[in-house]
Amino acid sequence: MSKYTLSVNGQSKTVDVAPDTPMLWVLRDSLGLVGTKYGCGIGECGACTIHVDGSPRRACQTPVSEVGRAAITTIEGLSPDGKHPLQRAWVELDVPQCGYCQSGQLMTAASLLKQDPRPSDAEIDKTMAGNLCRCASYTRMRAGIKRAAELAASGISDKGGRE
Amino acid sequence: MKPLRKSSPPAVDRREFIKVSALAGGGLLFGAYLRFGESVAYAESAPIAETFAPNVFISIAPNGAVSIIAPNSEMGQGIKTGLPMIVAEELDVAWEDVTIVQGDLNSAYGRQASVGSGSTVGNYTPLRRAGATARAMLVAAAAQTWGVPESECTTERSAVIHAASKRRARYGDLVAKAATLTPPENAPLKDPKDFKLLGTRVPGVDNQKVVTGAPLFGIDVKLPGMLFATYTKCPVFGGKPKSANLDEVKSRLGVRDAFILDGIETLTPGVAIVADTTWNAFSATDALKVQWDEGPVAAQSSAEMARQADQLAKATPPAPLPAGAKAVEAAYHYPFLAHATLEPQNCTAVFKNGVMEMWTPTQIPASGQGLVTRGLGLAPKDVIVHITRLGGGFGRRGSNEFSIEAAAIAKRLEGTPVKLMWKREHDFGHDNYRSNGWHYFTAGLDGGGKVVALHDAFVKMQGGPGDMSAGGFPFIAIPGSQVQSSKLPPGIPTGFWRAPGDNGNVWATQCFVDELAHAAGRDPVAFTLDLISAVPAPNPAAGGRGFDPAKMTTVLKLATEKAGWGSPRPRGEGLGFAITHTNNAYVAIVADVSVTRDGQLTVKKLTAAVDAGTIINLSAAEAQVQGAMIDGIGAAWFQKVTIEHGAAAQTNFDEYPMLRMNHAPKLVEVHFIKSVAPPTGLGEPGLPAAAPAVCNAIFAATGKRVRTLPIVDMDLKWA
Repeated sequence: MSKYTLSVNGQSKTVDVAPDTPMLWVLRDSLGLVGTKYGCGIGECGACTIHVDGSPRRACQTPVSEVGRAAITTIEGLSPDGKHPLQRAWVELDVPQCGYCQSGQLMTAASLLKQDPRPSDAEIDKTMAGNLCRCASYTRMRAGIKRAAELAASGISDKGGRE
Repeated sequence: MKPLRKSSPPAVDRREFIKVSALAGGGLLFGAYLRFGESVAYAESAPIAETFAPNVFISIAPNGAVSIIAPNSEMGQGIKTGLPMIVAEELDVAWEDVTIVQGDLNSAYGRQASVGSGSTVGNYTPLRRAGATARAMLVAAAAQTWGVPESECTTERSAVIHAASKRRARYGDLVAKAATLTPPENAPLKDPKDFKLLGTRVPGVDNQKVVTGAPLFGIDVKLPGMLFATYTKCPVFGGKPKSANLDEVKSRLGVRDAFILDGIETLTPGVAIVADTTWNAFSATDALKVQWDEGPVAAQSSAEMARQADQLAKATPPAPLPAGAKAVEAAYHYPFLAHATLEPQNCTAVFKNGVMEMWTPTQIPASGQGLVTRGLGLAPKDVIVHITRLGGGFGRRGSNEFSIEAAAIAKRLEGTPVKLMWKREHDFGHDNYRSNGWHYFTAGLDGGGKVVALHDAFVKMQGGPGDMSAGGFPFIAIPGSQVQSSKLPPGIPTGFWRAPGDNGNVWATQCFVDELAHAAGRDPVAFTLDLISAVPAPNPAAGGRGFDPAKMTTVLKLATEKAGWGSPRPRGEGLGFAITHTNNAYVAIVADVSVTRDGQLTVKKLTAAVDAGTIINLSAAEAQVQGAMIDGIGAAWFQKVTIEHGAAAQTNFDEYPMLRMNHAPKLVEVHFIKSVAPPTGLGEPGLPAAAPAVCNAIFAATGKRVRTLPIVDMDLKWA
């Protein structure tokens, strides 16, 4: 066991875990942030996507010992009030089915929109292909990303976001 | 423990669950409010004063807040929103006044099994009655208060109105009076034409929690002092552990215990590892070495099954075709499929003071309870089952192995809560798979291109759903047609996979009908419409569940019209269609595909027409059909579980690819037929016709017939 002081959603958190523990389980079991989901444990499904210093990463493939003081953002910290344009669009268009993959989908989509506020279909396909949705809610997710881009452009943006 | 909130309506705080411990018609509601995952064993219970609770589903507080129980398991099909909508419609309550509370397993709720697309079908009338009864009591309370006839009172948005005297009373103001009344026997139901809420688009009640990562799912349950467990079974089905390196496992970081479980009637023997974190349990599981007694199933393989299927089919040859008929023959095969719910199987349990309390993502909570009572010798009253949200169901969580596994471990750890978590590899390795299947079709066409004979030698695994009979389309359209069904020896566990039976058999039969149309030199739509019209009108004795040719004709005409059927396409592009009558819904799907010369398939557009009776929630209904179609296509395109040495060869998503955004069709249209008939199922009917529509479109585009799934195994190159 080793102690690690982490920056998670803007807060400093200390955990005492085995060095090879993936951030997925640090978040879920040690810090009680269960929005980040376990789907495969091998970086294939994308359900555990978080941001590390603003870039999307698979939490199941990110050992706690490698994180250092990097800023970790999880779905719980994507916006201060749950009103990120993507979160608004997802609720407005009723995107989630079972919803289990959606934390990861939203984290991947958030970094896409940050890089490209008006992504093309091809860009959306390429970026989102790393996240599988077992319910196949792809039709509405694609519409949701476009709707979020509109909301952001019209000024309904996540002004208080941490990133 | 959190203090109990008295007289405080649940609408104030949607983050909380209400635990109903005693309810009776017209009586008081007793309850304790619990945060997600809190234990009822620790909670106090006290009456919530002055709440009107005319039945187990509804309570209305004096401030007007309405609480409606959602009795069934939410797994993405929208049932936690849809069933309370039915109550709210008849209650005539404003939707924004409603708080939805997930029900625990409780026989008072009626049909809590969420399988067979039956949650809405089975609960529609009871929930309408529950709402209508409460409404009638509120009307009576108002009428008595005002001294006017009930017949002069109407209701609207949580209020009773007496138009003649321009009086209006909010439901909340009527609860004290209503609670003193006796529920009427036969409160009138609305005419479906007057529905205001049903048929509209209502977003899922937990969407905000989903998009903010709030705890909802079984995997999210956390109890004070909880430990984490894995349970490893023999990779070969039916095998059991003889011995394991338990001392070595127990010496690993964070491991609290490790033991073999055997001799419990409802439990597959295996090795339990209990640790302080999920990761330490997983790491110790990777270090586990077991001597297995593999048993006889080790001799089974997919290759051997294919050989046996061929032999079995040859033993049931067709009768000679009528003289002069042209023979059309084709063999179709679909493989085993895994459910691969994205949330792996899990269950949390604590055994304390003789009571097993469980938090279970299950489609059939009563079945999980049954496994625990039988396996551990507990009375049903001592096995409490809380239903969590499910990270996907698809039929997988109709079986409840995880319930008895968690309970058996919890019993051993008496007093300590434990969460059993399957690794993804456990999940792929111990599914109840969609059975593989083989169809050997022989048909005869007369000189006019009419089908005069149809024979299907069908083979599947013994056990589980998915058997074939000549009672479905197209067999019922062809007098004298025959299905002869043979079974492979048991051993590989098979079970209910979204649209059981139809998910493979409709693919095979609908592709073969398309082959027949082409062999007859006819347009496949006209050919199929002729077949449909040859089906006798349904027998009223079938209770409205028999194949109705008029309904099928309507959806096929609508889907093909919307999709532009008949417009010429260049080589490499094509339209295909298929139909299905599944869970009594009528579905026609047209697929628009392109295949490049080097064989790259793109499904560009799907167009569905659906008659599912009354639509409860248009948003959820549309999402179910969209998702089911793409699910069906993804399974047919990419997925296959192969059995080698009596075990599943695929262990994770790298070996079992699933359709992702880049392969999802850009355009997906769903057209519902307007109907006031009772609702049919809708979680499954969108699936079966999607894959055959795509395969028939591939034929139209390339001239190549896909007769073995998955499609990805076939070379679609054309020149």
